[in-house]
Order: sequence, then structure tokens, then C-alpha cells
Amino acid sequence: MDTFQHLLAGLTAATSLQNLGFALIGCFLGTLIGVLPGLGPAAGTAILIPLTFTLDPIGALIMLSAIYYGAMYGGTITSVLINVPGEAASVVTCFDGYQMAKQGRGGTALGIAAIGSFVGGIAATVALIVVAPPLARIALSFGPPEFFALMLVGLCLITGLAGQSLLTGLVMAVLGLLIAMVGIDPVRGAPRFTFGIPSLYDGVGFIPVVMGLFGIAEILLTVEAPYRQVIKTKLTSLLPSREEWRRSLGAIARGTGVGFFLGLIPGVGAIIPTFVAYVFEKRLSKTPEQFGHGAIEGVAAPETANNAYANAAMIPLLTLGIPSSPTIAVLMGAFIINGLTPGPFLFKERPDLVWAVIASFMVGNVILLILNLPFVGLWARLLRLPYQYVCVGTLLFCVIGAYSLQQSVFDVGVMIVCGVIGYGLRKIDLPLAPLVLGLILGPFIEKSLRTSLEMSGGDFSIFYTRPICLGLLLATVVVLVGSLLRPPPPEARESNA
Amino acid sequence: MMSHIVTATIGAVLALAATTGSAGAQQTFPTKPVQLMVAYPAGGSTDIGARIVAAIAEKSLDQPIIVVNKGGAGGQVGWTEFVRQRPDGYYIGFINLPATNTVILDPDRKAIFTEKDFTPIINQVLDPGVIWVRADSPYKTVHDLIDAGKKSPNTIRTATTGILSDDHLAILMTEEAAPGAVFRLVHLEGGAAQFKEIMAGNIDVAFDNVGSIMTRVKSGEVRALAVLDDVRSKFLPDVATMKELGYPTVMSNSTRGIAGPKGMPEPIVSKLRDVLKKAMEDPEHVSKLENQGLAIKIMVGEEYAKYFADTHAKAKKYTEWAKSRPHR
Repeated sequence: MDTFQHLLAGLTAATSLQNLGFALIGCFLGTLIGVLPGLGPAAGTAILIPLTFTLDPIGALIMLSAIYYGAMYGGTITSVLINVPGEAASVVTCFDGYQMAKQGRGGTALGIAAIGSFVGGIAATVALIVVAPPLARIALSFGPPEFFALMLVGLCLITGLAGQSLLTGLVMAVLGLLIAMVGIDPVRGAPRFTFGIPSLYDGVGFIPVVMGLFGIAEILLTVEAPYRQVIKTKLTSLLPSREEWRRSLGAIARGTGVGFFLGLIPGVGAIIPTFVAYVFEKRLSKTPEQFGHGAIEGVAAPETANNAYANAAMIPLLTLGIPSSPTIAVLMGAFIINGLTPGPFLFKERPDLVWAVIASFMVGNVILLILNLPFVGLWARLLRLPYQYVCVGTLLFCVIGAYSLQQSVFDVGVMIVCGVIGYGLRKIDLPLAPLVLGLILGPFIEKSLRTSLEMSGGDFSIFYTRPICLGLLLATVVVLVGSLLRPPPPEARESNA
Repeated sequence: MMSHIVTATIGAVLALAATTGSAGAQQTFPTKPVQLMVAYPAGGSTDIGARIVAAIAEKSLDQPIIVVNKGGAGGQVGWTEFVRQRPDGYYIGFINLPATNTVILDPDRKAIFTEKDFTPIINQVLDPGVIWVRADSPYKTVHDLIDAGKKSPNTIRTATTGILSDDHLAILMTEEAAPGAVFRLVHLEGGAAQFKEIMAGNIDVAFDNVGSIMTRVKSGEVRALAVLDDVRSKFLPDVATMKELGYPTVMSNSTRGIAGPKGMPEPIVSKLRDVLKKAMEDPEHVSKLENQGLAIKIMVGEEYAKYFADTHAKAKKYTEWAKSRPHR
């Protein structure tokens, strides 16, 4: 079957009544996460994984993907209406979106954001459909040495880009790898760091750790944050005027390109594409002085880039098995829970599943457009929910979710401990992304390293006599040296998305 | 997962209702649902077989049989929990020989149980080992493979499905039967990983079981060189056995059977044995398992106990060799 047939089959699966329902629920929950204060996409997706346990793998992955890009979108609403980004990728939207709301053009800001996101998301998905199959085909010939090198590049990119400095990034990545080593040695079968506790024999669960590091920690941080005023703005005129259209179209096109290409690079995070798109528009604009005072391009470009990025970032996951951000790592965890390891082999062996998920991105973007244009007033009202109720409810949901993973109180304990640790790490400004990526990639890195050495009979030359592997290892060195020389970015620190 | 909780809850309620009414113990067994532990995750071939037999057997047992998955650490997590249960017949579980044996025998595993902690009840499946290569591999026969292993020892990349799996032991048996042949062991995680690496050319030959590779042999994607048994497999009737090829000692398989914790009273063992035997002989059971490529091999009583002991002795020999082999 060629790509087109696979895509058709995927679309058929994704538009079945049941899967449409899952996509709708996912988009709704995702937008809710984006709108509600204190929960980013990573935390939200992790917390909601237990909800999908009763579903078949395709339904579960469609719903979780929808939660992911729904959350990426929902953050816009809070940026525009209360000048607080619902998630990190909507920081830039605050600059002009909130100004537009103050001028009574909040509806138009949300409208152009929804339209831009839709265009960016659909365009990136089409590009994904074109790029992914050949990429997966190349990666299919990769053996354990190539995958070892590939995962090393991915981890180093994230380490180099996420933190204030390379050193803190590396410390966190190694910490993640160390936690990943707890449990039965995957090759020799000896217990490691288990201290005789049977619950540790299978390692520390990835999902409870992420629920703690992001979910619990974000709730704790939000409790500290000051109360925010919701701006009263007219949400009646959602569609931009002819003049505003004219100014936005180019911004949307360029935002799509920026978001897509940056989405292909693991570790960039969702926040950088939005900054790049914003700065780009400001440079190109004939009226740069309007930026920061309610320029519609300043909303259209970053919001488009944000969504194009979110869909493009699925490419490294689906074709190579490399998650480019903590949220994508959570999605990878969801694949693994369902007994599926994302990567070229899954692409070949389960095209039905992979293409249904890809096709659901199309469906999801349509659903999001509908959810966000006519129903934007509903979301704005949700913003007025008193946070004390939201936070208690979320905490309760976390505890039930962690327990239901495998009916283990131990997992609840892991989540709470990680919540406290995550809160502390945020307070001292250490990046969580390298830790999470180290944790999820750790077992795969170890396995491929050791299998490579078994293949070569213990000879390390296997890593530099295979050209692709050598190239990837050289890229790792370039990445590490590059991030050592890079000046720390002023604002674009860590993105949780 | 949710459905497990629901069934477990229903089971617990039924159990409560049942125990309040019963006075006699062994004569009336069972008076509440029986749990059937599988030491591997849901969806694996042990789990599939367990669910098929449980659904049929519970009809004549007059109590539900609930399959409980306790996967992890190559079965060790499940069996650790299993041996701690009371031997009253309400908690029985699958033992996978020789995987159960090698977990016990590998000193690095520090297992808390021994072979004496199990009361074998009945064996369900015997899945013979098979040696297979890519369809375009230069090794057309087992002799080609062994000659190559002798000519350039420790270079042919040979995949197991995990350290101390039955496939790992089978490679050692082959080396023993063909002195001078040494294979380079690569421990992969199961049959899917083997297939990926063989197709990508990173592995030269794989040892696995008939049930997991049968469909790929039939589709022509891979070639089976030999079945590690003394009779041909009904699923691969064209593939020669190692016995036919002159290596009668290379006999390896993976079995799945049901056991109880040690000290189970004989009346309960025989009740369960009769119910399970009837279920395994049921045409529905036979056809459903054969569709999975799983060969049924019912063994009970002395025969199964002896099989357990023989497998243990054999596994002991090869586990010790595996641990002391220069190239592990």
C-alpha cells in the first residue's frame, strides 16, 4: 500500500463514530487543560493517561494526541484574556493579544489565533504525511548502533537547548538516566538499585514520575501565584476585518514554515518557534512600532508557529522513536503502556495504528477550530472558576490516576515524592526536560548500547566503522560544543510543551 | 485494566457472599472464584492461552476463574507473589518451563522461591524451539550454519529472546552437539525485536519458538532451518527436526502449565486437574490455540512432575554453562 491508501484507511479509522468521539473528548480536555491555570500540556497529558486504559490502543492514542494539541491551543485564551500564558508556548501571544483585548478586539485576537492554528496544524500534518514514510524507511535499516547514536543526539540536543547552561542540563539528563536504571537489568537480569523492595524490580514508573514532576509541582507553584483579573472584552466579532486578513495571511504562512522546521529538531521546545516567528514578523513589518501594542500579526504568527510545531514534533517520534519534548515523551509513555514502541518498526508493522493517529491530527484540528470559534465564550467563563476548587479536584484526580496505573499505592508515593522534587527543581531553576527525556530514553539507550557491543563481541569499533552511526556521533559532539558556546537565551528558557 | 478492577470487585463480592454460607472446606471446593495468575503482561501468548482455558473451565468449575496478570522481570515478579499465596486452590498460576527454572537457577536473580515451591497441576502448551534466518540468508541448512560457526567461531550474530530464555539454552545445546561451533550471542527482547534486526541485516540467525514465527515462515519472509524437537511440528510440516538432522540432543521448547503453591491438598489438586483437563480437551480450546500456532501438550500427575524435574536438571546444566561461558 502506498501512502495515499494508508492515509485513506487512517482517515476512515479516525472518522469512525467512536474515534471521532475520542478526538472530541481529547480536544475538549486538552483545551480545558490549556485554559485552567497551573497545568501545562505535559502534566495534563500525563494525568489523563489513566482515563484511556479501557480504550483500544488506537482510540487511546487518538485521544491523548488530541489532549496534547488541544492543550497547546488552549493556552492562547488565557494569554489574551488575562495576560498569563496558559502554557509556555503562548507567552509571546500575551504581547499583542492582551493589548488587543484591552482595545476591545479580544474576539478578533482569539479568532485569528484559532484560524492561524488551524492552518499551521493542517499544513504541518500534510508535510508530516509527505516526510514521515521515507524517513521511517531510512530508519528501518538502522541497527542498535545507529539507534544508540540517534538517541544520544536527541538527548544532547534537549540537554543543550533546555537549560540555562549545558552543565545543569547534563546534570538533569544524567539524573534521568540514573532513575531509568532502577530495576531489573534488561540484559543480564540482575536487580539494580532496588534495595530489596519488590515494587522497584520493575523500575520507577515513568507516568507517576511525570505526573509528580509536572502535575503536582505545577499545582504547588500555581497556589503561590497571585490572583489574576479576567479582562472584560467583547467576544462578539471573532472574524478579522478585510485589512486584518491582509496583514495576517503572510504572517500565518511564515509562522507555518518556522513552526514546522523547528518542530523537526528535538529539544527546540514549543516556545522558541513562537519567539522566532514573532521576531521575524516584526523585522518584516512596515510598522514594527505597532508590535506590542495590539498588532494582529503578532498574534497570528506565533500562534500558527506554535501549532505547526506541535504537529511537526510528532515526526521524530513516529518515525525514529525520539520524543522532542516532555509532552511528546509522555505520549511515548502512552504508546509503551499500550505495548507499542514508536519508531520505524511500528510505522512498518502497524500502519493501521500510525496512520489512524496521523489522520486524527487532521480531524483534531477541525474539531479545535469548531471548539474555539463559536464556543470561545464558554472557555472565557471557565477562567473565572475559583482556583481553590480546581486545584483540589486536580490533586484528587492525580492520586486516583497514579493508583489506577497498576493498583499500586507505591506509584502514588512515587508521584508525591516527585511532585515535591519537581517543585524544588523549578524553584532553583533547573530544567526538567532533560530529566524526563533521560528517564524515558534511558532503557532504550542502554539496551541499544549493550546490544551493539554484543553484536561486535565487545569491540567499540562498531560505533565508528558504520558511517551513519559515526555521522550521528559526530553530530552529538557538534551539539555539545555548540551549546557550550551558545549564550544563554534571555527569555526562552524552558518550555514544558 | 479497568475491566480487571471491575471483575476483581465482582469476584470479591461473590467471594464474600460465598464464604459466609460455606462450612465444609475441601469437599465443597470451590466456593468462591479462583484466581489464575499469569507472570507476563496481558496480550502475550501465555495470557492468550490462559484466558481461553479459563473461559472454558469455569463453566464446569461452577465458579469464575479470573486471570490476573503480574508481569515483570521475565516472570519473576509474578512468581514471587505466587509462592506467597495460601495453597487452598483459590490462587493458581501459570509456570513457564524453563523460564521459571532459570529464574530460580540464576544466582544473580536472587529469587525467593525454589522449584519445591510449586505444585504442578497440568501442562497446557509445548511450543518447540526453531532456528530461523532471513529468506535470502547464505545459510540454507543447519549444516551450513554449524559449519560456519566452526570455521569462524564467535562471529555469527545469533539472537536469543532474552538472557537464559529457552532460546539461549538452545544455542548452548547446539554448540555442545557440534563441538567447535561457537555463536556470538545477542540477547534481544522477544520475537519482534529479532525480526526487526534480522530483516535489517544486523543479526544473522535467530532462535525462537514455532508459535511466534510460524506465520512469517509461511509467508516466505523468513526461512526456518530446523525445529528443535524429535517430531515435526504440525504447523511447519516441511521443516526438518534436529533429530532428523543428526543432533538428537538439541531438544528445546517452552511450555506453559498450571501449578499451585506448595502444599496443596490432593483432593483440591485432583479437582482442578480434572476440570482443567476437560477444558483443554474441549474442541473450542484446541482450535483456538492452534490458530495461534500453539501446540497443546497435556501432561498431568507423575508425568508433569517428572517433566518439571527433568527440565530443571537440564536447565541447571545449561544455566551454569551460560554463566561461565567466556562470551556470555
